[in-house]
Amino acid sequence: MMRGLALAMLALALLGPWLAPFDPLDQDLLALNRAPGGVHLLGTDHLGRDVLSRLLAGAGTTLAVAALASLLALLLGGGAGLLLAGLGRGAEGLGFAVIDTLRGLPPLLLALIALAAMGPGLSPLVLALALSFAPLFAHVARTARRREQAEEYVAAAIVSGAGPWRVLFRHIMPNLAGPLVTLTAIILPRCVVTESVLSFLGLGAAPDAPTWGRMAADAARLAEAAPHALLVPVAAIALVTGACAALGGAARRYVDPRRAL
Amino acid sequence: MRRALAILVTGLAQGLAITFGLFLIFGAIPGDVVDVWASAGDLDAAQQAALRAELGLDQPAWRRFLAWVGAALAGDLGTSQRFGQPVGPMLWEAAEASLQLGALSGGLGLLLAFGLCTAQAAGSRMARLAVEAINLWSIALPTFCVGVAALLLFSVWLGWLPAIGGLLAPVIILGIDNAGQLAKPLSEEVAEVAALPHVMAARARGLSPLWLARWHILPLAAPVAVSLSGLMLAGLLGGTLTMELLFGLPGMGALVLNGIQGRDQPVVLAGLVAAALAIVLVNALTALVLAALDPRHTSRD
Repeated sequence: MMRGLALAMLALALLGPWLAPFDPLDQDLLALNRAPGGVHLLGTDHLGRDVLSRLLAGAGTTLAVAALASLLALLLGGGAGLLLAGLGRGAEGLGFAVIDTLRGLPPLLLALIALAAMGPGLSPLVLALALSFAPLFAHVARTARRREQAEEYVAAAIVSGAGPWRVLFRHIMPNLAGPLVTLTAIILPRCVVTESVLSFLGLGAAPDAPTWGRMAADAARLAEAAPHALLVPVAAIALVTGACAALGGAARRYVDPRRAL
Repeated sequence: MRRALAILVTGLAQGLAITFGLFLIFGAIPGDVVDVWASAGDLDAAQQAALRAELGLDQPAWRRFLAWVGAALAGDLGTSQRFGQPVGPMLWEAAEASLQLGALSGGLGLLLAFGLCTAQAAGSRMARLAVEAINLWSIALPTFCVGVAALLLFSVWLGWLPAIGGLLAPVIILGIDNAGQLAKPLSEEVAEVAALPHVMAARARGLSPLWLARWHILPLAAPVAVSLSGLMLAGLLGGTLTMELLFGLPGMGALVLNGIQGRDQPVVLAGLVAAALAIVLVNALTALVLAALDPRHTSRD
């Protein structure tokens, strides 16, 4: 059921701009804080903007930011983990001293630091999220690589004359795909939540970009007048997290070699 | 002993590196407090330069870092550029509020998780269901969302929260979330250990369940329990930050966020360094306890 929900949400995010009954930025000052029902299916917010249209417009931004950030984290973290492994023990030790230091800090704190340094906006947001989760990917890449390194096929490749880079990229890397894909599936919903929290705190997306966190932040200040305007984006965040978590579980079972047993 | 020393040295190096990194980042932000003042009033270039020299903003980064660390170790964290107050007392006050929230919710989380796992190990089906339920809850419902819902329900619609006290809802929300993350892997570990041959042999000898738990299961499950708890405590900071801002508690989250928005760099720097050092401390303590519990960790290095 959750998988269907996730697919439905993806479709809504892609088709959102065409499905939206109103312009998400259009203000109707004669219809402020309308409760759900009638023309405005999910009501209007404190500026008379249609909540449903904003929700649909925000779906694309929210999911795109999370997806881009987790892919970038995979590339940066996994890439760093592999490159450092190929550069020899000294470089690996030093590089992972830094990575492990960062991995010890909660991603929300790292993202907060990165955003405070870069300023608000959509691209800084994606970069900050990617940087916060990249150390986790580097760690998983390293652990998986070490496990593979002990396998006999690696020894066989080395004996038949393959250099360290060839062993790393031709032989080991395909076997790292499983754990890294699994981690991406786990990180994706965490990106959605972290993005919402950051945007809620006013550090993420710019005010005119209708991400769900921004909508919630705007509505939170006027929660008494229009509680639905707050509840709708927050419920959407919770639904997406749940759906992503379910998808992640499915992806994990799919790539886990033990599922065949 | 050597292991403990290595953990301490690593922790110190990490703390120092993080502090220096933060100092570099917040020394390199384009625009400082003088820009903020200049945009508000009318300062010409010479006055701005004089102000920067007075505040020491024209010195190279490493010298400012050394000066900052020296002063911080002597108890002086600088002066808030927005409020003109010393940062130390501001930080202390905020840390007290955050520690209170963190300790209460962390304690509740540990209590719930360990309680449920013990009950499950003793064979309670209810506990098993509860572990699954709070695990699902913590995966699918971010504390941020639950917090907003609780805020709406209790303070807007029911009008209860101010009467109960602002801490109750955040503590319960964070506690359940932490327990959910902790209880599932912990209960899996306990079940795995309970299926080991030595436990079955002990059970076959007719030892009491309590004796089994204390002497045959717990010692083997302890390392995992400790490292999971350490991970949970370190991660608690993100949760307390969100809760503080949602429920308007005057903690570190509010302090740092206001500092970021007002470019109050001494406050931001001190707050972030304090938070990061607290986490490094938790990580190091976890590693120390682990090293003491599990002799296998010593032989690995």
